[in-house]
Amino acid sequence: MNRTALIVGVLVITPLLIFLALSFRSDPRDIASPLIDKTAPLFALQDLDGEVYSLEELRGQPVVINFWATWCQPCIAEHPVLVAASRRYEGRVKFLGVIYNDEPEKIQRLVREMGAWGPSLIDEDLSVAIAYGVYGAPETFFIDAGGTIVQKVTGPVSSQYLVNLLESLLSS
Amino acid sequence: MRKINRPLLLCALMLTALGAMVAVAQQSTLGVQGEALIGEPKGRPLTAEELDRVTTEVSSRMRCPVCQGLSVADSPTPSAVAMKEEVRQFLAAGYTDTQILTYFEQSYGEFIRLEPKATGFNLLVWILPIAALLAGLAVVIRRVSRPDSSDAQGDASPSAESDLETYLEQVRREVSS
Repeated sequence: MNRTALIVGVLVITPLLIFLALSFRSDPRDIASPLIDKTAPLFALQDLDGEVYSLEELRGQPVVINFWATWCQPCIAEHPVLVAASRRYEGRVKFLGVIYNDEPEKIQRLVREMGAWGPSLIDEDLSVAIAYGVYGAPETFFIDAGGTIVQKVTGPVSSQYLVNLLESLLSS
Repeated sequence: MRKINRPLLLCALMLTALGAMVAVAQQSTLGVQGEALIGEPKGRPLTAEELDRVTTEVSSRMRCPVCQGLSVADSPTPSAVAMKEEVRQFLAAGYTDTQILTYFEQSYGEFIRLEPKATGFNLLVWILPIAALLAGLAVVIRRVSRPDSSDAQGDASPSAESDLETYLEQVRREVSS
């Protein structure tokens, strides 16, 4: 075999193989949010009862924003975790649910059955979901008392993870 | 027939109108404060056909976040439709395509651009195909300009020449017989 061709082939293929190997190790859907360490986009939304919630007015305490829907099974799975956490941190952390691509009536029904962990806000034109760079449900954003997004979780949050994160938010 | 109390009716109408105005005002303040993130418009407001055309043009440069390799313009998903509507509203308000793409990039990162910006590491995407093409062209030119080694060997080989002579002799014999 031609020695030069072999060397050129190895030089071309090796970086490609390294690049592919590194790429396959990461989840293509787990894209880092550019909003981390940035001020959370401000919004005002109505809940199912018509009450308006403004993020700006919640400054001064940590806020958890969860984008969810009834068609999303992981959202249903994490619902009890959020209910428990909202009770544990009542008065210290504000939990807001933003309805993602779903009908308010279905949300109402599910909340009646499984309990509420916070107001379910109607984002009819998905403008809030877009401003937060949401790819799907569930996605949870953790905002500190100063209004900065400190963490984003794609997929359901575990109880332990939630507690650890909220404790560190409250202690900082 | 009962007599209608006009002042009472007027009062009720005014209250209804006031309620409707408050509801409309409240509705308009709902949603995200997108303008706070995007700043003042730097272009001119678009309308009618131009608005439609540029909306499609800008949203076809954006990747649908919930699809596989589809642009916002091509995707029928609610998220893509909502994004396209936002693009339309921004263009109608006079925002430029650069401002609009920057706005979406703030939330989704560079992922939102179907065509990556030609800066930094991304430059490889633009440079590598051209480099590969040039390298291929160089190989082809080199091959074409170099005399064919098999031909050269054939011309120089005495055994091949004698084989040809033998073959020609055989053909001549068969033709003359």
